[in-house]
Amino acid sequence: MNRALRRISIAVLVMFVLLLVNINYLQGFDTASLANEPGNSRAFYAEQNSYERGSIVTSDGVTIAASRPSAGNGDSIKYQRYYPHGAVYAPVTGYDTLYSQTGVEAAENSLLSGNDAALDVRKAIDLITGKTTKGANVEVTINSAAQTAAYDALASLGKPGGVVALNPKTGAILAMASYPSYDPNVLATHNGKQLNDNDQALLKDPAQPLLNRALQATYPPGSTFKIVTSSALLTQNPSTTINTSVYSPTQLTLPQTTHVLTNDQGEACGNGSGQVPLIDAFAQSCDTTFGKIGMNLGAQALAAMAGKFGMNDPNLAVPLPVAKSDYIIPPSEALTAFSAIGQFSDTVTPLQEAMFAAAIANGGALMRPYLVQQVTASDLSTVQTTSPQLLSQAVSPSVAADVGQMMRAVVQNPNGTAFAFNAANEGGLVIAGKTGTAQSGVYQTDDAVFTSFAPYGNPSIAVGVIIQGGGYGAAAAAPIAVQVIKAYLANLGKQ
Amino acid sequence: MSSVTAPSPAVGPADPLVPVVRGRRRTELVMLIFAFALVAFAFANVGYSLRGRLPSSMAEYLGAFAVVMLVAHLAVRRFAPWSDPLLLPLAALLNGLGVVMTYRLQQSGRNGSPGFVISTLSSSAAITQVFYTAVGVACFVAVLVLIREPRVLQRYTYTFGAIGLFLLALPALLPASISEIPGTGAKIQLRLGSFTIQPEEFAKLALAVAFAGYLVAKRDVLALAGRRVLGIDLPRARDLGPILVIWAASLLLLVFESDVGTSAVFMGLFVAMLYIATSRTSWLLLGFVMFVVGAFVASKLFAHVGERFEVWLHPFTPSMASGLAYQPDQGLYGMASGGLLGKGLGGGQPYFTPLVQSDMVFTAFGEELGLAGAMAILLIYGLLVQRGLRTAMSVKDPFSKLLAGGLSFMLALQVFVIVGGVTRLIPLTGITTPFLSQGGSSLVGGWMLIGLLTRMSDTARRPPPRPIQDEGLTQVVTLK
Repeated sequence: MNRALRRISIAVLVMFVLLLVNINYLQGFDTASLANEPGNSRAFYAEQNSYERGSIVTSDGVTIAASRPSAGNGDSIKYQRYYPHGAVYAPVTGYDTLYSQTGVEAAENSLLSGNDAALDVRKAIDLITGKTTKGANVEVTINSAAQTAAYDALASLGKPGGVVALNPKTGAILAMASYPSYDPNVLATHNGKQLNDNDQALLKDPAQPLLNRALQATYPPGSTFKIVTSSALLTQNPSTTINTSVYSPTQLTLPQTTHVLTNDQGEACGNGSGQVPLIDAFAQSCDTTFGKIGMNLGAQALAAMAGKFGMNDPNLAVPLPVAKSDYIIPPSEALTAFSAIGQFSDTVTPLQEAMFAAAIANGGALMRPYLVQQVTASDLSTVQTTSPQLLSQAVSPSVAADVGQMMRAVVQNPNGTAFAFNAANEGGLVIAGKTGTAQSGVYQTDDAVFTSFAPYGNPSIAVGVIIQGGGYGAAAAAPIAVQVIKAYLANLGKQ
Repeated sequence: MSSVTAPSPAVGPADPLVPVVRGRRRTELVMLIFAFALVAFAFANVGYSLRGRLPSSMAEYLGAFAVVMLVAHLAVRRFAPWSDPLLLPLAALLNGLGVVMTYRLQQSGRNGSPGFVISTLSSSAAITQVFYTAVGVACFVAVLVLIREPRVLQRYTYTFGAIGLFLLALPALLPASISEIPGTGAKIQLRLGSFTIQPEEFAKLALAVAFAGYLVAKRDVLALAGRRVLGIDLPRARDLGPILVIWAASLLLLVFESDVGTSAVFMGLFVAMLYIATSRTSWLLLGFVMFVVGAFVASKLFAHVGERFEVWLHPFTPSMASGLAYQPDQGLYGMASGGLLGKGLGGGQPYFTPLVQSDMVFTAFGEELGLAGAMAILLIYGLLVQRGLRTAMSVKDPFSKLLAGGLSFMLALQVFVIVGGVTRLIPLTGITTPFLSQGGSSLVGGWMLIGLLTRMSDTARRPPPRPIQDEGLTQVVTLK
């Protein structure tokens, strides 16, 4: 039997040798190819944490995301991400967790983490000079005064909504606020259990704090869409001016229905004669007037103009993805009347609201909105920089001037819907804007919308505000826009 | 059956395997202390790596472990003083490393250390593992105390056979709610409340005893009868009965309990013992061919067997990597990330591998101790198997020879099947990694196996009775 046992021993030896050879191959030679497998979360994790992650700073130098050495010495990750201003900038920064990112943290992840190919040469130099490699720093276009004013105004109102401010000349996003927001610091924890608990709590919160309403939520534009309808009218009929009398009945009977379109409270438009100058109908926001204009222009013309203002574009990114703002061609003429006043199926993001005003403020030239100004390596050399780009010429400069004048009337004329914010009340600041009060059909109270630019003579900021369930645009949304404008202009004056 | 075995001429005083006369208990104690020191070091390493200080409960864990191992050592001194001095320290080292790894996995993600919490691992798993260690060592001692002479087991050949087959078949006969491991489809356990037992871990031992008893009785006929075809001695058809029964049982296990790994170990054990008993290569070939054919047919007929081959052959295709191969892939990535020297205990991310604490535990060692540590663990297993085979060669009675050889081979085969499986040498089939996997049945079964080997090595190394000089030329031999 010992002969058989010896042979069994040899078989056992062969088995162990096979195991040893195999793990030598696996752990000695095959590591690189296994590390490159797309499903290898360990490799992804290691890459993500190999360097000190770069900071995110605003255009005026406020740090809104940074890394510092981890507190616990038992922590295998050397750096702890933190967000000094938490919820205020959360829609901009997003978060960087152990496993995933959102916002700018996601959009610029490869540069922030130091793994982008654009940094290879600098990393090689670091290796030679013995410097510690760090991730690149990202400078966003955000202005801290505008952002803080936007978030504080939303928070003090306490209703869900979003605010976006643009530089109309460049498309740079000056503010991007959403309420309710969240503190990204709670997701930056290195404790897996805590991270999971915090993440679940945010996901389950009915207030949806993780939703970036500035870019990702859409609401009906209401009367602010009259900017598009007016633009289409003035573009299609060059003979029309802002003083041309337009049909403005107190009640507009819609074709093929028994439904009658009235103004907000059933009041008369202008003097009740049924004919008012276009600018007065715009300032007073007569639904009957623009319903009729919309039906005359036709849905195709409205859709084309909406597209020129940036709507119906599913691929817009700043570079954070932006929800599509919709103008859907209505199936009937009666519904076209509703679509012309920003109802029916029209939906827009707060960013789109800001884009309406920005295009008008910039002589009809709509600049592509962008959030990342430039990326600099840790040696302060520029890795990439964003230059302003034309997104579309929405209207001609003369049409833009006409619509701009009408928007000024909304705020400056005594019968304008936002007269409360006229120059006399705002310390001589001339703001142009358009209010909207939209029946969303989903919420009990109307959504409040306001789009505006200022100063009227030489616009440097355009602001879009949407407050879910805010009521009248002039009451809930306009004050927020005015606060953002004033904060930004004051900050601009200081610089 | 006579309890006296006449010394055969082959094992006279000139035989090099016999001359051992020292008990070597002191060697065992020194090696046991060495094993304990390694375990203590590993434990401290986990604490420092995860939290920068010694684990708060380190004294309790190590104290309990030391007491249990000391009890084992004293029991060996008392009941098996001539036994092999390495069996106990090697098993203790593996067991200790298993406890440390369970503790380490249970800690991941807690108290500020990054990582997932392993949802399938209870927060008291390490304490439970120490408790199972105590139960295992108690069974080890019980084996030494109750079985004073290995050959007594031979009397219960058919009893053990029946017990073994019953334990093996039990989970298949019971409803899935009691016997199935949730989510896996494998029906291999008995659930009594929150407590689960895997009867196969004990069935294997019972069947090894039964095989040894049966083969000792039948080995001559199995070895000699038959005819020679193409240079291979073929057995007679009527002698094929037992191997067919075992083959059928192993296939039923495969099909009804979805337990390919145990089926392979079970078949391998029987074939190896058949070969040791008969020295007939034809049995080896026959058994191997039968298993391969059976497994191949089963893989075509039953999806759960076939998909193991698919996972083995194409683990990195996108649908596999996110589906069936997810777990084995994560294990491979873990071993790859460990590289040559490993991430250090507590430094890796074994928690990315689902159920890493049971079947995949070897990959956690590979990740954190690296190639160096993984090879060391394989060598510990190799040494353990070698001590067992050595016992088989030096023990005199054929029953013990068969049993020791079979048990040692079974241990080797189990390590081969699971370690080879998780490192993609062979298709992965889920069985426990002896002494390292978290879980009680495997640990207790393992200690009983070590108990049997210790008992047989004691028999093998016990010096022959001394002649009483005063009696002149007449020698009186003490009989047991």
